[in-house]
Amino acid sequence: MSVFVAVDQIEKVFNLSGGGQYVALKGIDLEIKKGEFISLIGHSGCGKSTLLNMIAGLDLPTDGEVSLEGEVVNGPGPERMVVFQNYSLLPWLTVRENIALAVEEVLGYLPKGEQKSIVEEHIDMVGLRPHADKQPNRLSGGQKQRVAIARALAIRPKLLLLDEPFGALDALTRGNLQEKLMQICQEHEVTGVMVTHDVDEAVLLSDRIVMLTNGPESKIGQILEVDIPRPRKRMEVVSHPSYYSLRSEMIYFLNQQKRIKKIRARKTAAIARHGLEKVNLEIGFVPLTACAPVAIAKEKGFFKKHGLDEVSLVRETSWRGIVDGIAGGYVDAAQMPSGMPLWMTLGGHDKDNRPLSMVSALTMTRNGNAISLCKRFYDQGIYSLADFKKMLLKSPNIQHRMGIVHPSSMHNLLLRYWLAAGGIDPDRDVNLQNLPPAQMIVDLQAGSIDGFCVGEPWNYRAAMEGVGFTVATDLEIWPGHPGKVLGVREDWANAYPNTHIALVKALLEAGQYCADPKNALEIRQILESREYLSTDISYIQLGDPASASCNLDRPMREYAHHIFFGDGANRPSRTEHLWHIVQMARWGDVPFPRNWLEILERGCRVSVFSTAARELGVLDVKYNRGNIQLFDGSTFDAEDPISYLNNLKIKRDFTMAEIILDSRTIKAA
Amino acid sequence: MTANISKRNSTNSQSAIGAWWKKQSQNILPPLIAVVIFLVVWQLASSIGLVKIPGPTSMVTEQRTRIYLMYPFFDLGGTNKGLFWQTMASLQRVFIGYSLAAIVGIALGILVGTSAMLNKALDPIFQFLRMIPPLAWVPISLAALQQNQPAALFVIFITAIWPILINTAVGVQQIPQDYINVRRVLRLSNQKFFFKILLPSALPYIFTGLRIAIGLAWLAIIAAEIIMSGIVGIGFFIWDAYQNNYISDIILALFYIGAVGLILDKAMGYLQERIVPNDKK
Repeated sequence: MSVFVAVDQIEKVFNLSGGGQYVALKGIDLEIKKGEFISLIGHSGCGKSTLLNMIAGLDLPTDGEVSLEGEVVNGPGPERMVVFQNYSLLPWLTVRENIALAVEEVLGYLPKGEQKSIVEEHIDMVGLRPHADKQPNRLSGGQKQRVAIARALAIRPKLLLLDEPFGALDALTRGNLQEKLMQICQEHEVTGVMVTHDVDEAVLLSDRIVMLTNGPESKIGQILEVDIPRPRKRMEVVSHPSYYSLRSEMIYFLNQQKRIKKIRARKTAAIARHGLEKVNLEIGFVPLTACAPVAIAKEKGFFKKHGLDEVSLVRETSWRGIVDGIAGGYVDAAQMPSGMPLWMTLGGHDKDNRPLSMVSALTMTRNGNAISLCKRFYDQGIYSLADFKKMLLKSPNIQHRMGIVHPSSMHNLLLRYWLAAGGIDPDRDVNLQNLPPAQMIVDLQAGSIDGFCVGEPWNYRAAMEGVGFTVATDLEIWPGHPGKVLGVREDWANAYPNTHIALVKALLEAGQYCADPKNALEIRQILESREYLSTDISYIQLGDPASASCNLDRPMREYAHHIFFGDGANRPSRTEHLWHIVQMARWGDVPFPRNWLEILERGCRVSVFSTAARELGVLDVKYNRGNIQLFDGSTFDAEDPISYLNNLKIKRDFTMAEIILDSRTIKAA
Repeated sequence: MTANISKRNSTNSQSAIGAWWKKQSQNILPPLIAVVIFLVVWQLASSIGLVKIPGPTSMVTEQRTRIYLMYPFFDLGGTNKGLFWQTMASLQRVFIGYSLAAIVGIALGILVGTSAMLNKALDPIFQFLRMIPPLAWVPISLAALQQNQPAALFVIFITAIWPILINTAVGVQQIPQDYINVRRVLRLSNQKFFFKILLPSALPYIFTGLRIAIGLAWLAIIAAEIIMSGIVGIGFFIWDAYQNNYISDIILALFYIGAVGLILDKAMGYLQERIVPNDKK
């Protein structure tokens, strides 16, 4: 379908009464197809109504242009009819007269009789026959809005623009009207643009949801495609598998906008102290059992001990928040899934694949992940990968979905590796979905996913609650695999080298503390609190494989225990990072870098780790953890990653590319 | 059974009157008592010589005034007419002057309200002119128009026009942006816009202006007539009575003026209520 409405590089500047200027919108580009329904969503004051007004022509852009069917909009007109936020009915006219006024003016070329029948038809369409001769002030809010919609549709606009049409209505009326509007739009193939800040309304009504960032200089932050088939019913869309992920995507976006605003307001310069370049750090983490070293470093004062006086922890519910925080420079450092630093270096996070050079100087945890499947598979006797494959072969028509937390995380790579080793193509035979860790169980319970691979405590909790069962733990796939690492931007590491070392020291010492079984109870108590996991302590298990979990039924395997310290666990390993690159390239997520040696050298800061370990007096640093061996018996040869890739049976068409890491110095923090 | 019902009905109707009285007595009694007290105090004050004007009873006791009181409709030619005719003459002037003021005021007000440029240009003049009291207009209008009748009309006109004009202009300027947007989106013709949006929207303001203006016009005519000698009108009647020291005549005329002013205001109020849509007030 061709472009119906084109919003082209719009910019809107308001002159302030004080003489200054406020750039409300900048660089807005949007193309709307005929028959499409678009929602504009964003926080108050983000300029979504301004954008709508500019499409309507009620307001003109300072720069750029809007066009409808190729014609530039330079004023309002009835082909772009607006349903205003506060109805804008004329109170001295009856319902019928209000609609007739519009019809007479716009469709004046039609014979009178036909005009009349159009008016009556639309009164019936919105079900206001009994109220046709009443004035608007005798109608309820919902009825008024129905009149406004009838008036808008009666003049057969090419484009219907709705400005928070249901904002002032009670929930029940809103629901009914939403369905009515949907039905009308569908029947008459209306192209619509709606401003709203109701997340559910946006999902229900839209084909695409356009999310605007906060002003000043608001732009389109993200566009979501709503793939829920029409006709939609309010009560039914909720059970569509995409519903909650769309919803959470929007809420994530809105929350992120709110946080960015807060951080912008708070942002202070680097405070140097104790010979460190910066002691006020924001450190991101995701609440998982694996965040123990971060939590302990904060709670037990290891940050302070190493001179980092003003560390605040930033709790993110999803790994995406961490990526955005690091990329946007809102957090200084973060606990990351082991593949994430190089994933970002290879541009995996950016929609244009622009690399953001990252470094890692510490492997914080190993193990702690598992693959869970829905309980019903267990009831069907599916206890292993082979059983799972058999089941998939038997039901080719059913789309099986599995949850992962992030494309760069070990969960994704492990799950894919595990599936592929069993002859299951992780993209074709199943469908992998990104979900925040904390949402896995809810989705598993709701049946919108069939299984997941995620860090603890969620596998354990799924088993304890009888929702799922652990079909494989990392101990069976790759014992001792890296779990979480410390990631910072390369420019940050270069700007604050001593701070970086202090940070590694604090976290390394915290890891040592976590590894001591004596401290387990205390750590679990810290982790269960609201600031961290906010979950029951019984779900939090650190390293003790002899705990109750192992005595559960047969499929509840040996508990996936975490390794926080010791035996060369913490040294950043180039071989392991290479394994990640290879696996991510294998699934087409990032290109395989021709200059992989350079990438590894720059991304893996062994020197920082080495300095930190020496200063702490930790001497059991091994140089090599040996070859990487996985459960399928294959050995990863770090000397020849490309032929390893070529020899894999199940893989995507991977690309090779020279990743040019310029010394783009973005001012850190 | 039937008896029972009818009995109940009769008690019902009785109690209906009672209920009405119960409800209304609170509204009627206090002002009635206040009026009576006022008159009594006045009468006492004048009979003991506290004030130099006669008491209210003088309107009946004074023979000359009693005639005016009893026969409002006599007409002996010239300015020697009953108070009804005197009042009607004044009212007629008000009616003409006020109508002119309303027509010109509303028209100008709409013009000024729709054009920001005109508003900027003319507003200072309006603000300046409206500060000039009605009486001050009398000499200049007499000088300009030479004759009593048109001069009196002009004074009324110039007094009544400002509240109408200014309120209309404000009313037009205050048309909610929503309605303007409706006009713009529908591309309503000017004529439709004027009759379907501008006028109904500004109507409450216009009526507020009209109501203020009618009071002012009535005030102005009395003042104007007092100065313009030799015309029929209640204002001149008062002046004439004063010259002849018929104080009780003046008192009676004052009652007429007050009553007519009250009636005019209430009539405008009633009209406003009837014409202006309910939710716009």
